[in-house]
Amino acid sequence: MHGLRRLSALSGGLLPSSRLWIVAFLLPAALMAVLFLYYPLIFIVRMSFTEKDTFLSPGGPLYTITNYLDLTGRYAPNILVTIKLAGLATLVDLAFGFPFAYILIRKVRYRDLVRAIMVFPMFGALYIAFGMRFVLLPGGFLTPILQLLGVEGAQVLYGLPSTVFAMAIFTFPFMVMNIGAALSNLDPMLEEAATCLGARPWQTLARVILPLVRSGVIAGCLVCFGWNVGAFAEPLLLGSLEEQRSLAWTLYQRGVVQLDYGLSATMGVVLLALAFSVNYLSLRYSRGGLVE
Amino acid sequence: MARVRLAGITKHYGTTVAVQDFNLEVVEGEFVTLLGPSGCGKTTILRIIAGLVEPTSGQVYFDGVEITHLSSNARNIGFVFQTPALFPHLSIAQNIAFGPSVKGYPQAEIQARVQRLLAMVDLEGYGDRLPAQLSGGQQQRVSLARVLATDPRVLLFDEPLSALDRNLRETLKYHILELQRKTKKTAIYVTHDQSEAFAISDRIVVINAGRIEQIGTQTEIYLQPQSPFVAEFIGANNSLAGQVLEYSPEEARVAAEGFHLRCRSGLPLAPGEPVLVYIRPENIQLLTDGRSASHRNLWEGTVERVVFEGSAAQVHVNVKGRLFKVEVSGAQRLEVMELGKSPIWLGFDEVTLIPQKSPR
Amino acid sequence: MNLARLRRHLADLISHAYIWGCLLIFVTPFLALLSYSFEKVGGVSLVNYEYVFGSFMDNLLTSVRVSGAAVLINLLISLPAAYGLVRYRYPAKGFILSALTLPLYTPAAVLGLSLVLTYNFTYKLTTSIWGLVFAMVVGTFPLMVVPIVVALKDLPQVFEEASLSLGATRWQTYWRIVFPLIGPGISAGILLSFVIVFNEYLVTLFVSPPGVTTAPLRVFNLVRTAGLLNTTAALAATLQIISFIAVLIFFRLFGTRYLKGTYLI
Repeated sequence: MHGLRRLSALSGGLLPSSRLWIVAFLLPAALMAVLFLYYPLIFIVRMSFTEKDTFLSPGGPLYTITNYLDLTGRYAPNILVTIKLAGLATLVDLAFGFPFAYILIRKVRYRDLVRAIMVFPMFGALYIAFGMRFVLLPGGFLTPILQLLGVEGAQVLYGLPSTVFAMAIFTFPFMVMNIGAALSNLDPMLEEAATCLGARPWQTLARVILPLVRSGVIAGCLVCFGWNVGAFAEPLLLGSLEEQRSLAWTLYQRGVVQLDYGLSATMGVVLLALAFSVNYLSLRYSRGGLVE
Repeated sequence: MARVRLAGITKHYGTTVAVQDFNLEVVEGEFVTLLGPSGCGKTTILRIIAGLVEPTSGQVYFDGVEITHLSSNARNIGFVFQTPALFPHLSIAQNIAFGPSVKGYPQAEIQARVQRLLAMVDLEGYGDRLPAQLSGGQQQRVSLARVLATDPRVLLFDEPLSALDRNLRETLKYHILELQRKTKKTAIYVTHDQSEAFAISDRIVVINAGRIEQIGTQTEIYLQPQSPFVAEFIGANNSLAGQVLEYSPEEARVAAEGFHLRCRSGLPLAPGEPVLVYIRPENIQLLTDGRSASHRNLWEGTVERVVFEGSAAQVHVNVKGRLFKVEVSGAQRLEVMELGKSPIWLGFDEVTLIPQKSPR
Repeated sequence: MNLARLRRHLADLISHAYIWGCLLIFVTPFLALLSYSFEKVGGVSLVNYEYVFGSFMDNLLTSVRVSGAAVLINLLISLPAAYGLVRYRYPAKGFILSALTLPLYTPAAVLGLSLVLTYNFTYKLTTSIWGLVFAMVVGTFPLMVVPIVVALKDLPQVFEEASLSLGATRWQTYWRIVFPLIGPGISAGILLSFVIVFNEYLVTLFVSPPGVTTAPLRVFNLVRTAGLLNTTAALAATLQIISFIAVLIFFRLFGTRYLKGTYLI
């Protein structure tokens, strides 16, 4: 009996084989995720159905769906502006990102240098928004050019274009890397074949390249959109009152400043739903999972 | 159908020279093969003709019109790549229709062409499938049909068979030749495989290190290699360095590394001239008794080793301390398997002499 | 030089100019901050940086402490999790990884709000710096675990088997074989989570306890309340320079291979 158990321990492979070990390996991560992610998220979902700050009142929480009615009524423009900003930034990323990715993959040999410089947006939207403020400021980098066009710096500063621009810079690497990954899987020989068959560059683009990198383009757009719906610093520092209605900033105002927990939590839930659904779709479009 | 002329083509990549002062004229309907080892620049030349690579200097002419800087899509060429390079998102029929369709041909015309070409490459009924559903050989046939659909002026082949397995190579080789003969199109074919080149070419251009070593028909290249590189590349393995002793149009006598040889040579040679001597393995006969044979050269040696290769056998024979390779085919290849380290006679008539150039 | 060739050269030139133009726009916000950080009434000076190492020093130190603690805890959680995810076969593995990497897709404002509310009402963590540290850990966990998973998947199991069959204990095998071999993946995880935590301001804005202000949060507060100050620009520039140096060192040592599947895909 004893010998048999030793044998099975050997033949059971070289991994610690009991189920207990799997649990032990994953437990810390699971605990952390449950305590600091899933419980808090469920918490705000529950809270989104309570009125104002009644969640902790001695009389018990007042359950209501007013918050959701408010959000789709009074605060509908906030949701729309959030989607509009994210959508516009995504379009800017796509327009500039596709040629960028194409040139990067097909023509550029100093790719690692480009990658290194492209980490700058990763340091955070705060620095981008802050830096752009300096750029657009009267007396900033762009002032001479703006004056030439007859525009005052301050006018451009608070508004849609600068907000969208800063958001686009922040998510540009996502777009480039998604499209770039699809393009590097595309054999250049197919483009040569199309050219030799008489296709003009735009025909090659429309009939060969675009259909074959479509999933990369879609994934890139969804990822950019998913990140940008949560934009906070850009609308706040660069936007006018209109742009500052974006959900992330409003939920901070309502929740932390005005202590309207119910409404703030509702905005959080809506924002979360937006981001999750978009990112879920993007994962469906990008290639396979990490572990199978 | 077009004449193709390359005049002084040179291509540098940074400091490396891929092609150096390359001149070639291909006449209408001719099948010319560029033959050379990998990295010799033959593919670069083909890509220059296609317009996929721009030469550093020199000109490309189609029918006497210079097109050196014309972009590929305006050249009307048919380029067959190493891999089929079919568009994976388009069906077989759509792949074949791609060329005519980007050129704006009418739909009816395109459909007729697709059907005709599918028939020509024996793939009727495959039109609706996707490339991934076809075998490698079928895919390469589709790529042939695809280039023919645009009615190109020149067919360019970049080792189109190298990715296929051996049996498929054999059949597709003749398929390509047959299509070229049927369509009477000028064809330029790149390969590193000499048997492929011999099988299908009107003329062969042997290339080494970006330069032309020799241009000639199959028999010229095979029988009269003009440089040591050509001789060795097309498989003349037994080589000796020697000197001409006597020369007359009927017979030359050569002394080389302790051996005496007699042969015919078309080249006029002066006595005392240094020459390289090549004896092809397949031109040597193995004889158990050489005294009754009538070869110009008869050497006695011993068998060192026999290597059986299926359709042929290689016999390594030691003659006066030097190994000579002999290729044996037919029934004799089985007989030689029985040979131990026995004495044997080598008999041969054909010898290739190449005057040794003075050192560069 | 003929026209066609000129056109091709021009196309090449435009392509590269386009790349550099975009890259310039990327670094423009940083360059703007940098140039303003050197500005002082009537000239150029480093005087603004005296603030960075003067009154901002506390914030920098707080940032370093929070980042260090968060990265360390993250590593201790991620290593076993990655191992358990790659080396074992069990159902719903992909689902578990997705569930663990979900924070990557959670907007920072939502994460911040949900955490501050639970800290307030359930965990009573609002006055502890550990609340902030754990918020950072959960937010950057995917960035740590994904490169390690990639590295482990690339590492054939045969090395571990060889080590064990040569008589090493499991513990010795981890320390002497597995960890060194997945070193680049671990380094990538450390780099990514450090760079993100070190520059984090948004979740921090929600959950940082009273009296604790990290450097990026200080930047945010100052921009919000005091407008555009050259000293704030100096602090922001310093943070970015530290981050960029960390990235450059990593690229030199390990290349970009292990950043796949993360921010830079």
